[in-house]
Amino acid sequence: MFHQTVTRSLVLAATLAGLALYAIFGGFFAREIVAEIAILAVLAISLDVVAGFGGMVSLGHGAIMGVSAYSYGVLTVIYGLPPLPSALAAVAAAAVFGTLVGWVTGRSSGIFFIMATLAFGQMAYTLVFKSRWLGGDDGMAGLPRFDLAWLGIDMGSSLTFALFAILLIAASYIAAAWVLRSAFGRTLAGIHANESRMKALGVNTVIHRARAMGFSSLLAGVAGIVAAQHTQYISPELLFWTVSGEVLIVVILGGIGTLIGPMVGAVAFVLLKHQASNYTDYWHMVIGLILIAVVVAGGRGLYGQAEHWLGRGARKAEGLRRA
Amino acid sequence: MDSGVWALQLLNALQYSMLLFLLSIGLTVILGLLHFVNLAHGALYMMGAYLGVSVAMATGSYWAALFLAPLLVTVIGAVLYFALIERLRHSGPMNQVLVTFGLIFVFLDVVRLLWGDIALGLDVPPLLAGTAHFFGIAFPTYRLFIIFVGLLVMALLWVVLARTQIGAMIRAGVENSDMAAAMGINVGRLFFAVFCVGCALAGLAGVVAAPVLSATTGMGVSILVPTLIVVVIGGLGSLEGAIVGSLIVGFIETVGAALAPNVAAISSYVLLAAILILRPQGLIPARG
Repeated sequence: MFHQTVTRSLVLAATLAGLALYAIFGGFFAREIVAEIAILAVLAISLDVVAGFGGMVSLGHGAIMGVSAYSYGVLTVIYGLPPLPSALAAVAAAAVFGTLVGWVTGRSSGIFFIMATLAFGQMAYTLVFKSRWLGGDDGMAGLPRFDLAWLGIDMGSSLTFALFAILLIAASYIAAAWVLRSAFGRTLAGIHANESRMKALGVNTVIHRARAMGFSSLLAGVAGIVAAQHTQYISPELLFWTVSGEVLIVVILGGIGTLIGPMVGAVAFVLLKHQASNYTDYWHMVIGLILIAVVVAGGRGLYGQAEHWLGRGARKAEGLRRA
Repeated sequence: MDSGVWALQLLNALQYSMLLFLLSIGLTVILGLLHFVNLAHGALYMMGAYLGVSVAMATGSYWAALFLAPLLVTVIGAVLYFALIERLRHSGPMNQVLVTFGLIFVFLDVVRLLWGDIALGLDVPPLLAGTAHFFGIAFPTYRLFIIFVGLLVMALLWVVLARTQIGAMIRAGVENSDMAAAMGINVGRLFFAVFCVGCALAGLAGVVAAPVLSATTGMGVSILVPTLIVVVIGGLGSLEGAIVGSLIVGFIETVGAALAPNVAAISSYVLLAAILILRPQGLIPARG
């Protein structure tokens, strides 16, 4: 069950402030990295909502993000609609897609759920890849960023875009925390903990799972919009199942079921990737070994392990006070 | 299209189905018996292809590669089993998916480190080079050989699973491993043996595929998803399921691609989704 502890609020504020400072003082390359972190962080928060709190390990989140990015591309590039309403419609499209996937797969669990989300994700990938209308494997270029000139804000500047992306991390985290603390979020945690008991209490577990996937997909859709506007180019690779696998790695690295952990994981993952690529050509081996080590060590992840240690200290102090 | 072209399509589909069968039978029995999700199975297939190329280069003989590569892959599998898989057996599908997903990454870079990024070919042995002519159609002899290998393995496995005591023990383990252990079967040792056979067959599929598809770093990932589809469609742990599943997916992806490329591309995913929703136990489940 989710609790927004003081530690978590502090880590959130510190991470976001750190990213903002890095973007402000770090130059162009730093801002590109911050935007990349933001895409991954929002997607990881989105996946943690279903995987960490609902027990639904999805291998289709890359595709859900891609549905949003491509919807945005279709509305702006092909139909020439303005960016803001297009983005809202694209996020809604991702949410609808995710809800449908969740509703259809809501009866399955464990490996079958993983396979089913993989299947739907690959379906979306193949459709986009094969569609000449969507640019096929060439992708789609020239996606516009939001036009905020009327506010005196130039979204074309890399710094403004990086700060905007950081703002979206904060918004996604707050939205996810709010939903997880609602009655709905508690019900979801209940279904994860003991499905038959929740059914006996009269809860329609399939509908709840579908709604959880829908909300998670809404956040994944936000990540899709940032991805589409960041490089202003999208390709089917965005929807491929290994993208979903990478996000799952980020969630695990950071600490599944902590909500803040996956965000920390995204920061660590992207920074590590850019650092490692300076030294070695074999980045995938590094991340593969780290992933295996984290899972074998107990699967708590970076933030989860830290919180576990802190919690142990606090419990010990509590015990001493009582004694 | 005339009948000759059709016959060629069918043979191509059969050849692809046999590759899928060699991979999926190992995966399905590992899933059915060990309840272990091994996403690295495709990586073992890739290792089989690369090791096959190296052995063939070192010895100058395709036949040496055909026998040694599966053996080497089995050794890799055994190391993985004792290092990781044994301790992950009871830790739930998510940890298994994650660790074996990590292994995919590790194997990918191991291959790049040892063999480089370039696709490597493997020469067809003189005996199997050339083209076979029958019923008025011409078909590469080597592809017929792949079909033959697949059918041979199928027959051998059927005999072992259906007609021997080991087979009865494996079937008992898939059906109810606790009960099998209570009846005096050493389930742990059985699991290990089955895992090794699965790795050997993945390696065999890799060597056999190398002359046709070349050894590439992407081959493991690209074969993994069709193989998983076969396993789920067929039903976990069942030989008949793996046979039927490989034929269905092989034919959809080969014949379908010739008939209606856009429909065929997604139809195996549609089929997978339909099976998961309507008949999650698969078409021919091992458990009655």
